[in-house]
Amino acid sequence: MTAAPVVAVRRLSGGYVAGDGALVDVNFEVWPGQVIAVLAPNGGGKTTLFRALLGELPFSSGEIELPHRPAYVPQTERSRLDFPVSALDVALMGAYGRTPWYRRLSSADREVGRAALDRVGLADRSRSPFGTLSGGQRQRVLIARALVQEAPVILLDEPLSGVDRVSATHIEEIFADLSAEGRALLIATHDIAQARRSDRVLCLARGQVAFGPPDVTLSTDVLRRTYGAELIVLDESTAVAVDHHAH
Amino acid sequence: MRVLYDLLIEPFSAPFMQRALLEVLLLAVPGGVLGSWIVLRRLAFYTHAAGTAAFPGLVVAGPWGLPPQLTALACGLGLAGGLSGLTRTRRVDLDAAIGLGLVLALAIGVILASDLYESGSGVDRLLFGTLIGLGTTDVWLTAGLALVALGANVALRRPWLAGGFDPASARSLGVRARMGDWLLLALIALAVVAALEAVGALLVAVIFVLPAATARLVFVRLTALQLASVGLAAAEGVAGLWLARRLDIGPGPALAMIGGALFAVTAGMRALPRQVAAAPSAPGARA
Repeated sequence: MTAAPVVAVRRLSGGYVAGDGALVDVNFEVWPGQVIAVLAPNGGGKTTLFRALLGELPFSSGEIELPHRPAYVPQTERSRLDFPVSALDVALMGAYGRTPWYRRLSSADREVGRAALDRVGLADRSRSPFGTLSGGQRQRVLIARALVQEAPVILLDEPLSGVDRVSATHIEEIFADLSAEGRALLIATHDIAQARRSDRVLCLARGQVAFGPPDVTLSTDVLRRTYGAELIVLDESTAVAVDHHAH
Repeated sequence: MRVLYDLLIEPFSAPFMQRALLEVLLLAVPGGVLGSWIVLRRLAFYTHAAGTAAFPGLVVAGPWGLPPQLTALACGLGLAGGLSGLTRTRRVDLDAAIGLGLVLALAIGVILASDLYESGSGVDRLLFGTLIGLGTTDVWLTAGLALVALGANVALRRPWLAGGFDPASARSLGVRARMGDWLLLALIALAVVAALEAVGALLVAVIFVLPAATARLVFVRLTALQLASVGLAAAEGVAGLWLARRLDIGPGPALAMIGGALFAVTAGMRALPRQVAAAPSAPGARA
């Protein structure tokens, strides 16, 4: 591990509107190779936190140290499925930020795009229109786009939501690979079982409820304070967060 | 042969018709290239509104001694800037903001035309298009617009593509999507001004929406869509001029009739195979 975190958030507060308080006093650090599960109810501050980390949301107080621009993997439902782009076109969008407007995408970047699709198991679908792919395949294309960005930190917004079991397993294997090569992943999720497999868990309910290793953080008490009425406790070790926005 | 010549070639023999022909062929370039983005980015309503927004500018141009293109452009850019500001916070829906701008422009135009200034045939001509009014300046303006549209299509392709595909994550890709969006709106306003004389402020959609919307029914890839849209806009333009000359009507309405009919036929033909495929098998067809 290097001597510095790739993300450091200290006493962060802010929201979409001044005084809104979508986030209050959030503190955490992320080190290279760590997988962080971000648990929060709907409206609990996950999106606000991600937008702040992406530099898209001015915050009222606190600081964010993020030496490199993170990559962002949105929920696949937010993409226009009727747009005339192939899987490779979408993956290559990851190279837009480093290519001046007057230059064509380099052949090296095209190779990186194809390699990224190969890595997520979609080399044979590179020419397929994005809208014709299954939900799981579309999610993998968006992950390939983040790989092309070559960012040390990747933010993922509920990447397994609405994804079939085979694609979910594949995606979790990709996460393990990325972590092994030193990339840090912040994964917004409602899946408490998935959160238990991460290195750290950040629980938000507008304010920060807890941050730490899953075996310490994922107690029934913390989950209750995070999800409130949205939490269903099945037994001492199992709880389910109800995602009212799940597709 | 003589009959064919009289029917197809003779209508284009007059110099003003040849100028009009050159104008619609040049307009086909931005019509197809920008039109593809207008359809893909769902800006057809905005394009219509940008034409209508020119109305007050056209009314005041004569009395103020200004070129109508300049006053129309000012109105169009004013609409684009206003929409960009109104929708920045996402509290106002784009379509609602466009509707507001459209109604305001029409109201101001009507008040100016009926109460403050004498609006003569010049305004009518710019609202519905003309064949005889096209001058060399209009043709040069359209040629310039064609070059600008082609240049913008190369320079702004990435922000337009990323911003249209997923606006929420475009910025995280390092793309200046908001600036790209504003430039697209401004470019459409400019294109509308260039098309005023030929098709009229109220019918600009016939060149910037109909050909691309028709091509979109058939073509999936962006480059194919743009090439087909340019070709279709050119073909519809030539046919529209011919019809306008034969029927002695403005080119705008003639283009609208041809473009609308072609869209309807294409949509019908695209829907037909699906209906045949979905139809139940005839009784007794299965063993």
